[in-house]
Amino acid sequence: MNRSQNHHPPQPREPYGEQRYGDPRYGDQQYGEQQYGDAYGDPYVDPYADPYGERDSSSWFNSNGQSAQGYPQEQQGQQIPQQYVPGIPEQRQREDQPTYALHTVEETPAEPSYHIPVTPEAGWDMAASRRRAWVSRAVLLCILLIQTVLSLRLSNTAFQDEALYLAAGHAELDHLLNGTPLPIDYAAYFSGSPQLYPVLAALVDAQFGLTGARVLSLVFMLFTTGLLYSFSRRMFNERAALAAAALFSVVQSTVVMGFFATYDAAAVFLLALAVWIVVRTNRAPAYAVLLAAPVAVLAVGVKYAAALYLPTIVVLALLTAWPYRGAKSAVLRMLLLGLGMGALAGVGMYTTDLLAGIQQTTTNRAHGSDSAQFLLQRSAEWGGLMFLAAVGGAISYVRRSRMNESPLAQRLGNPGWRWRALMGLLLCGTAVLASAYQIHLGTVVSLFKHVGFGLLFAAPMAGVGVTRLVGAHFRYPQLGIMLWTAVLCLGISQADWRFGVWPDSSKMIRTIQSHVNDKGHYLSSTPEVPVYYLREKTDHSQWQSVFGMEYKAKKGKYYTGDEAYRAALRDGEFDLIVLDGITNPRVDDVIAGAVKGNPHYRLLADVPWRNSSGTGTYRIWIKTS
Amino acid sequence: MFLTRARTTAAGCALALSALFTLSGCSLLDDSGTSASSEGGGGSEGSGQDAQGADADIPYDVTPLLKPGKKYFGAAIDGAPNSMKGVDTYTAMTGKKPNLIEYYAAWGDGFDAQGVRNAWAEGALTLVSWEPFDVTLADIAAGEKDAYLKKYAASVRKLNLPVVISFADEMNGHWEKWGTKNVTPKQYVAAWKHIHDTFTDAGASNVIWAWSPNIVNPVKSVELEPYYPGDGYVDWVGVIGYFTIEEDNAYDSVFGPTLDEIRTFTKKPTLILETAAEPGERRRADVRNLFAGVEADDDMLGFVWFDHKKRADWRLKVSPLALKEFRRLAADGSFGFDVRKP
Repeated sequence: MNRSQNHHPPQPREPYGEQRYGDPRYGDQQYGEQQYGDAYGDPYVDPYADPYGERDSSSWFNSNGQSAQGYPQEQQGQQIPQQYVPGIPEQRQREDQPTYALHTVEETPAEPSYHIPVTPEAGWDMAASRRRAWVSRAVLLCILLIQTVLSLRLSNTAFQDEALYLAAGHAELDHLLNGTPLPIDYAAYFSGSPQLYPVLAALVDAQFGLTGARVLSLVFMLFTTGLLYSFSRRMFNERAALAAAALFSVVQSTVVMGFFATYDAAAVFLLALAVWIVVRTNRAPAYAVLLAAPVAVLAVGVKYAAALYLPTIVVLALLTAWPYRGAKSAVLRMLLLGLGMGALAGVGMYTTDLLAGIQQTTTNRAHGSDSAQFLLQRSAEWGGLMFLAAVGGAISYVRRSRMNESPLAQRLGNPGWRWRALMGLLLCGTAVLASAYQIHLGTVVSLFKHVGFGLLFAAPMAGVGVTRLVGAHFRYPQLGIMLWTAVLCLGISQADWRFGVWPDSSKMIRTIQSHVNDKGHYLSSTPEVPVYYLREKTDHSQWQSVFGMEYKAKKGKYYTGDEAYRAALRDGEFDLIVLDGITNPRVDDVIAGAVKGNPHYRLLADVPWRNSSGTGTYRIWIKTS
Repeated sequence: MFLTRARTTAAGCALALSALFTLSGCSLLDDSGTSASSEGGGGSEGSGQDAQGADADIPYDVTPLLKPGKKYFGAAIDGAPNSMKGVDTYTAMTGKKPNLIEYYAAWGDGFDAQGVRNAWAEGALTLVSWEPFDVTLADIAAGEKDAYLKKYAASVRKLNLPVVISFADEMNGHWEKWGTKNVTPKQYVAAWKHIHDTFTDAGASNVIWAWSPNIVNPVKSVELEPYYPGDGYVDWVGVIGYFTIEEDNAYDSVFGPTLDEIRTFTKKPTLILETAAEPGERRRADVRNLFAGVEADDDMLGFVWFDHKKRADWRLKVSPLALKEFRRLAADGSFGFDVRKP
């Protein structure tokens, strides 16, 4: 907002039409500036002026617009200060001046000859209008279209996580419908419930294949962007909401999760829905917030790591209601939501067998060796710009709450700076939760997705940041466009890179498919991928990964780790070995060393691949004796 | 004023940051860093024209050819497979198309990919007898000849059709340059392993490795096992032996002792990689014994008839009676099949 627009003091309480031109209150206001005196001198000709007198404007007003001193005139008990402007001191009144009063009384009408039309203080309405709603929706639709295109242009065969969840979903479906025993206990090591997302995705996969399952994720992510727009609009306004949605829809995490058949899209959608309910019910009675509890707990069920964001939703319940329903109701709301979530989560935990999986994959996850600097650098690359926009927005919002150009906005009961600071801190702070937790764990695995979870919360503030960057009346649209374009370019290149990290497995699958059956025992860098693609022939229990092994040799000796692989290969335990050279290169080398010259195996094929980082080969051996 | 300046600064920072990220994107994003480059890996693409159907762009799976249900009906014919004229004549003569064509190449020769394609086009596998005349096996084992070896392996890989390679055969004979007089078993095995590993590293999984000693009958003192590189390096055990007038012509007399010895150290399938019967009155009986012996032995994959005139005239056409018998026996359905559809 430009300060120059705001120099008028509080506006008059009465409509202009009721003011007389001679009203002394206007004497040093509207007409106080010299240019008004010049430009509007004639229209405001005093009706009481001497019709015979000289129409010299300089004799009407002094430089301050004050009436000439020493010639007070009274009419109907009212002073008319502008009648005589101090003219040139030498000028004198004419002789017939004494007849003036009498003449005026008879001729002057009681009312001005015309009214200035009622002029509103601002030329537009701050309140939502249908037109504005539709324009916003049209822009939102464009944003969603861009998001769709960005996601759909990605292509690769199933990533191992996708393959794992889809294959698990098929197995769970089979277990539910036909009672077929599960090949392995998925719940023991999954990072989300195998009965929720995997089953849904497998249903879609059965009908429409991998692309169908990925499009399901796209639908989740599009709804997430839509919900983000909706709750940002309610928290701030359309413009901030559109900016938030525009930024969120093009970051790497959103684009990739929107074409990635894993829990993440479903979980982030449920979190967005929970936030939406919390924001949407901020003026409703406190208990309405309980609607968000099952949704939020379901998000955690879908992906355990979503629990990291529940505290934010609980605090949001407090903050969003405070300005409308007061402290008492807001605190009650927060307590209700917290207790509701806790109770539901407790019930969920004790009625299912997910605790072991939660501990292994989420809370007690094995610590990695990725350095804090590396993780910070990655986080900055993947969400840094949007996070900066959010921090900028939060700081700017604390400094000034006004979200609309309309002068009327200034008189709205905006929340105080403490509330605004808390909101900014909460939303921006949530964005760094995942990075902080992964630095604690020392692992980069899944970080890009979790950065996206955080950005969902920071997005409204980033939207505010963009509106502040662009300025009132779209004064600097190029700044917003530049920021969005930068985020878009980074998002596209990072998403392309991300989707090319794993090798295209189609040739490998075609190479091995005639050698896989339901009886063999197989060793693979990524067992999930062949298990998914060849699920008609084989299941997970037949496949050994390259991440740890136990083996009891034919001579009875028990081995673990690298020695287990060596002993098993000495015995010719595996019927097929598929190494990609990238998933666990160290163990791949151990296995390749044990296969070289091994009498049981011969090279079946070297299948070259190319990924984002370069080239490599699938090395596939088959047992021949 | 302050706000405008702050906004400009913020925009400048944002631009600078994004430019930094974009410019450094390539190296920053490269966090997998595991780009195990494969030598000659890209070569497989160009070979698509050779393999059949939808699987043209994946490495040819030779495993169905390792132990097919039917016997190989092979022949070594002058000029083949580079020219298939002799093969056509042989087919007309014997009434059956050979499905294994053997040819002889010296170390230093280029790989005859076109010959392999010619044979393949007629449903036959090519067997290269690779003979290291002008090189020592110690040099090969030491990697002195790797440039040639790698080039050869890459050509074989690129062809993406099955090829049988029999390197330095008859190593247990004293008559070959790489035979017992000049090469120790250790050197022989080292050279074999080095060649095998070089091909494997090049991804040439389309090679069927045939380790091929001469029958032990004339060199009973030479043990075979020390020359055997190991099951991890061999797919077939080839046996080279002829029916000669001086020796008994029973199948078991010619091949029995060798096969018995081989079975003491490996269970790999065997193939009579080179055989023929000396022309003469007994030739018809020799042919009958050969067919009967091969057919009766489940581990015997087939045989290759050496249809050359070399030291003796081993060609079938010189003995009409034997040829007639050969033609009659070859008509048996268990001999010969299209290697493209094993």
